[in-house]
Amino acid sequence: MPRPLIPPIVTEQPALTELRHEVRAFLAEQIRAGAFVPHVDTWLTRWDRDFTRELGRRGWLGMVVPPEYGGQGRSYLERFVVTEELLVVGAPVAAHWIAERQIGPSLMRYGTEEQKQAFLPGISRGEIVFGIGMSEPDSGSDLASVRTRAERVDGGWRLTGTKVWTSGAHEADGFFALARSAPLDPAHRHDGLSQFIVDLHAPEIEIRPIISMGGDHHFNEVHLGGVVIPDERVLGQIGDGWSQVTSELGFERSGPERFLSTFQLLAAAASAMNEGSLPLDAGLGRHVARVAALHHMSFAISSALEEQTESDAGGPGASAASGAVDVDTAAAAVKVLGTTEEGDITDYVDTLTASGWPRGDELFSLLEAAILQRPGFTLRGGTNEILRGVIARGLGLR
Amino acid sequence: MADPVLPTPTPTPNPTWARATPADGRPLTSHPVADPDLVDVLVDLFDDYRSSRPGPSVNLAFDADLWGRLDALGLTRLSASEASGGSGAGWLEAAALLGIAAGAAAAVPVAEHDVLAAWLLESAGLPNDGRLRTVCRPDPSGVAINVTWASDAASIVALWEDRDEWRVADVASGRSEITAGRNLAGEPCDTVVFDLDDLEGGVVVDHSIGEQFHLRGALARSAQVVGGMDRVLEIVVAHVTERTQFGRPIGRFQAVQHLVADIAMEAALARSATDAAVARAAASDWSDPGMLFAVGVAKSCVGHAASVVVRGAHQALGAIGTTREHELHLLTKPILCRRSEFGSVHEWDETLAELASSAGHDRLWPLVLTGRAAPPSVSRSAT
Ligand SMILES: Cc1cc2nc3c(=O)[nH]c(=O)nc-3n(C[C@H](O)[C@H](O)[C@H](O)COP(=O)(O)OP(=O)(O)OC[C@H]3O[C@@H](n4cnc5c(N)ncnc54)[C@H](O)[C@@H]3O)c2cc1C
Repeated sequence: MPRPLIPPIVTEQPALTELRHEVRAFLAEQIRAGAFVPHVDTWLTRWDRDFTRELGRRGWLGMVVPPEYGGQGRSYLERFVVTEELLVVGAPVAAHWIAERQIGPSLMRYGTEEQKQAFLPGISRGEIVFGIGMSEPDSGSDLASVRTRAERVDGGWRLTGTKVWTSGAHEADGFFALARSAPLDPAHRHDGLSQFIVDLHAPEIEIRPIISMGGDHHFNEVHLGGVVIPDERVLGQIGDGWSQVTSELGFERSGPERFLSTFQLLAAAASAMNEGSLPLDAGLGRHVARVAALHHMSFAISSALEEQTESDAGGPGASAASGAVDVDTAAAAVKVLGTTEEGDITDYVDTLTASGWPRGDELFSLLEAAILQRPGFTLRGGTNEILRGVIARGLGLR
Repeated sequence: MADPVLPTPTPTPNPTWARATPADGRPLTSHPVADPDLVDVLVDLFDDYRSSRPGPSVNLAFDADLWGRLDALGLTRLSASEASGGSGAGWLEAAALLGIAAGAAAAVPVAEHDVLAAWLLESAGLPNDGRLRTVCRPDPSGVAINVTWASDAASIVALWEDRDEWRVADVASGRSEITAGRNLAGEPCDTVVFDLDDLEGGVVVDHSIGEQFHLRGALARSAQVVGGMDRVLEIVVAHVTERTQFGRPIGRFQAVQHLVADIAMEAALARSATDAAVARAAASDWSDPGMLFAVGVAKSCVGHAASVVVRGAHQALGAIGTTREHELHLLTKPILCRRSEFGSVHEWDETLAELASSAGHDRLWPLVLTGRAAPPSVSRSAT
């Protein structure tokens, strides 16, 4: 039999379901109180530091961070269900998204004791906000070609270069910059890269807005004008940047934000069909089915990542079943299928709505926002073309 | 309030980090997998079957020899209860058998004979002598069309609706009139005419049996299709690795890689949806009120995945894949046949659309997770 692409499905037990209901009840209350208006793609576009801090107070941030670093010491599976509940109601979660998803786990894996003490408690309270400093004007899919230079100086590294598409940099406190700390060796392109923890408030850093096609501002260009990063703010090992960055990707690619970005639009379409303002159409069933299947896939990967993390930490380790699966390949599959589906939902609802639809209507404003955000779904975090290549490699074709 | 500035460093040593575990120690998940020893037996048995059977043919004949081997191992009645002479396995095991047998294009009616006919007989309290059976649902005039394996069966289990009651009868082959036919897959697929008066009304069964029959049939077909897709992917990967054009294996071309990745992803999505429905069926013995939704999700995902998998596989295989001699059609034809049985893909999409629209905005997510759109008060009091 072929090696399965996705780990075997797992079934949620009452302990997780109760947590879901707790989060769900809180969110329903917040919506009733007008604390936020449900929207699409909120993990990229909706910043609300107060809401983020409130989640921190309730113990729904830093969930996988150990208590000695101010976290909750809970599991990736518990975080998974909290995340799903936040996404399906379109809550404003962008402020903590990056820190919670990948910065925290990276710090736990590669950070020094001092770095963990310095950042994890603030991340867990929702007070320290992070972005991602990977892409550059000439380095998109070919990330290993980054040209931001890290030069050795006394007690640290001087960073010079330009990062781009940095979501939320204008709101963030810091980012992890991927930079070239040793000259490019064309035979070993992945060598000589390092990650640095950069304080975005530093005076040598200039953040310029890039306005998106819908007129809003979440992208930035970040110019690193020779800012000196002390040795204590090197993440992990100098020269290990590539493997560190790629190890973030299993977490970055398989989460529920990869198939739920337009769930609010799907839910609005379901209501509209119920009320008769959209025709009841079989396509709704097809999309709901795919979302349900993607939930099972994504949850299965989360469970496999949990086992992997446990075995990395000397715990019980991966079961025979999920150990047979390459989690990075599985994550790529969820991301390709899920981000395609998010866009297909958008396009599907668009094909059902006539031009006479009232513009102020909830469904219409969700639809417009989704149409504008859609191109990003299948680009960010590794394009779907690149990810199909990852899957082909997992199948042994490359 | 100004945003906090990142803390500045104070160097300290780096201890090893240990992950904390959930506080109250309750399990967060369960892992519904079929008995691994049984799966090993099935894989070996059907690998052996595939490598030793005669070359592919257009029409399939019932394989009495294989059936005998399965029977000797208790696999022809794997999921029937031990009291009724079966092996008493659950749906996880039944689905594994269906999938692995389908991946070997085994010409045996495991779905019809065991998970449908044996279950109906047991539900009706009728005896089962273990001889080969198939199932069908005759219309009010007693006619059932597209009955797979009817001409090979010793007896046909009929399920029909009569004035608001569901009835079951076990009809020996001589008591019905069978006109032989074939489906797209080349399987015997016959028209059966019953004399309903002659069946003396059969045995009345609970309404839930009549409704479950359709769901069980749909999920059995889904399990067979995903088993077939696993094998298709294996054939495709092997082919694009071996076949050379322009001086290199065609699997080196990015266009081909993307075709194969799409096949693999759709097959995986269909498998996740099917396995989730099977797990729900196994955990609740089909009593979970979310079964209709779960089976619909499986049937919909499987049906749409079939489009991508079959088209992509034939494209990747080139002309050789279109020939009688090649194994591929033994899988692609049944995949297309089976996705349309027990409700077309479109009908299942419609069913799901109705469930989703009546759930509405706020209950769509609970529907996705549980298959039910119960009001908040109900789901909250359940915890
Ligand atoms: C909404 C959004 C948010 C983002 N946020 C961040 C962020 O916070 N921080 C950050 O660092 N980056 C961010 N990015 C950048 C993102 O990582 C890049 O867009 C992505 O890596 C692709 O790079 P590119 O846009 O330069 O496209 P390119 O790499 O130039 O690709 C253009 C097209 O060519 C295709 N292509 C490229 N190479 C190949 C190949 N080898 N084979 C086949 N096709 C190929 C691509 O698939 C794509 O279709 C964000 C992007 C988006 C859209």
